Amino acid sequence: MSMAHRTLFKPTFLLTLTHNKTFISHNPFRHSIILPSTTITLNTHLRWCSSNYTTTIDDGSTAKAKGYLGLTDEELMRQCELGTFKTSGPGGQHRNKRESAVRLKHLPTGIIAQASEDRSQHKNRASALNRLRSLIALKVRKPVDLDSYSPPLELLQILPPKSSIRGSDCGPQIGPNNPKFALGMQALLDLIFAAEGSVSEVAKYLGLSTGALSRLILSDDSLRMEVNNLRASKGMKPLK
Amino acid sequence: MKLSLSSVYRPYRFPTLINSSALGRPFCSPALSSPSTILKPQVPLFLRPPINSTKLCDLKKWHDWAKGVATSIGSAFVHSDNGPDSSLLCREIKWLMEDAVEDHSVFSHVGLEGDECVKMRVDIEELYCLWKQRVQERRPFQYIVGCEHWRDLVLSVQEGVLIPRPETELIVDFVCDVVSKNEDLKRGVWADLGTGSGALAIGIGRVLESEGRVIATDLSHVAVSVAAYNVKRYCLQDKIELREGSWFEPLRDMEGKLAGLVSNPPYIPSKDISGLQAEVGRHEPRVALDGGIDGMDALLHLCDGAALMLKPGGFFAFETNGEQQCRALVDYMENNRSGSFCNFEILADFAGIQRFVIGFHQ
Ligand SMILES: C[S@@+](CC[C@H](N)C(=O)[O-])C[C@H]1O[C@@H](n2cnc3c(N)ncnc32)[C@H](O)[C@@H]1O
Repeated sequence: MSMAHRTLFKPTFLLTLTHNKTFISHNPFRHSIILPSTTITLNTHLRWCSSNYTTTIDDGSTAKAKGYLGLTDEELMRQCELGTFKTSGPGGQHRNKRESAVRLKHLPTGIIAQASEDRSQHKNRASALNRLRSLIALKVRKPVDLDSYSPPLELLQILPPKSSIRGSDCGPQIGPNNPKFALGMQALLDLIFAAEGSVSEVAKYLGLSTGALSRLILSDDSLRMEVNNLRASKGMKPLK
Repeated sequence: MKLSLSSVYRPYRFPTLINSSALGRPFCSPALSSPSTILKPQVPLFLRPPINSTKLCDLKKWHDWAKGVATSIGSAFVHSDNGPDSSLLCREIKWLMEDAVEDHSVFSHVGLEGDECVKMRVDIEELYCLWKQRVQERRPFQYIVGCEHWRDLVLSVQEGVLIPRPETELIVDFVCDVVSKNEDLKRGVWADLGTGSGALAIGIGRVLESEGRVIATDLSHVAVSVAAYNVKRYCLQDKIELREGSWFEPLRDMEGKLAGLVSNPPYIPSKDISGLQAEVGRHEPRVALDGGIDGMDALLHLCDGAALMLKPGGFFAFETNGEQQCRALVDYMENNRSGSFCNFEILADFAGIQRFVIGFHQ
């Protein structure tokens, strides 16, 4: 009998397989990657990513930051190792244990996000993915050229309406509870890092008063912490 | 190899629980409107009316008691049969309160003290009984609350019906993938054999085009009734038809017509049943678990039937006990059903166990 054993990362199901061959695959799930962790390297993985974002991953380690958050949930999930319940015992019909916790490891960055509060693994997966997006926004930095800086739309969208550079075409302000906030927060952090933590300098680029920008930063706990960590490393006082 | 039609349709085993009237009836109407034949399914706790009232301090007393019981278990169940540990039991207490109490905001009230009353869907005395059953009898949590959260669904379950497992969720994703690439399959008729609570049928019913339909079968009368209840709750009566009977027996009219066939049949080898975790072995129906000597009885029967029932290009997906059964099943298809199927794949579950065999009819 001909059995082709392959361990592969499939972006989606391969439905165009050779007739009467059996493929053993460790990735049954179209949104996810199950890692038989020792056998797969990042490179193998990248080959299986669709080309439109392979390039963003392959080029310099910083330019890809926006790339990750621009991915759809499925694309992002494909870059992750998905760990769920522990593998004690045969599982399936043998088991009744509500171990619905989900742990996602984003392979290109090593960032880990988890969720376990819900009864359904499905929902925990969605929460973990949202959490991963904000962690990427917080942790992955992109260099900014301050001389030619112009804020991207996703950053303008999280600014309060009173910003003098925010056109009316930006729509209503996007707050921290909106999933789109992560993208804007990432761009804001890029700018703050480029300005070495100086809130007053960043405020000028964004057409805001220092006070208004501080309030924006304080509106999200993780954003505040990230900014204050940076400021602490530069010997500056924390924002309160 | 020539297929013998009679063997596919022969109700492949007659468990003692089947009554003759069920056998005589080729299918069972999906509506709950034939009360003489359909058992009335239990309403899950979270859907019951909040007609009981309990003082917050009494609820708190229950909570502390239940937590004490859970904590005293430690890892005793884990050691005896790989059952739940106290931290899992404590999580279940939280979920039980969520289902039992109408207004969840009471949980954020610090302390749960006072004479203030909360509306509950169950009497506090019964809540004590339920938790005793959970711990002393190891009654599955899902039977206690009468539901299981599965994918984005909340399915009603009760004794007599298998609690759907997280592994099985993946089969719906396989189907999603296949139909997203093939309009014809998306509009076709699918079958879920041994539907239990109706989980797979409902999951698939929601991804098919409007013309697409699912026929879900089960030998168990309780399962068919509970599946009908769940189908109705998701308003899929027009899409999902339930038929009572053994495997392909209620599907004689579908020969060569099915666009897809999925099943999570009983696959545990008989000798392993006695060693199962108490929640499973003592409380879930044996007919849903026991797959015969090597666990393959139903799977092999389903392979034979799939060859007959699927139309050319039709898709199948089976859940198995693991790697050994996956390989045996593929061997069987290649050697005994050569020419019937193509493009087999063995796919792993979340835990990395090779769990599913999927493929297409030639
Ligand atoms: C493991 S359970 C799966 C239930 C459901 N599909 C799920 O995944 O949660 C197996 C189901 O097959 C049914 N079953 C067992 N023998 C059968 C037979 N001969 N014909 C039809 N269904 C059968 C059982 O009643 C049970 O509901």
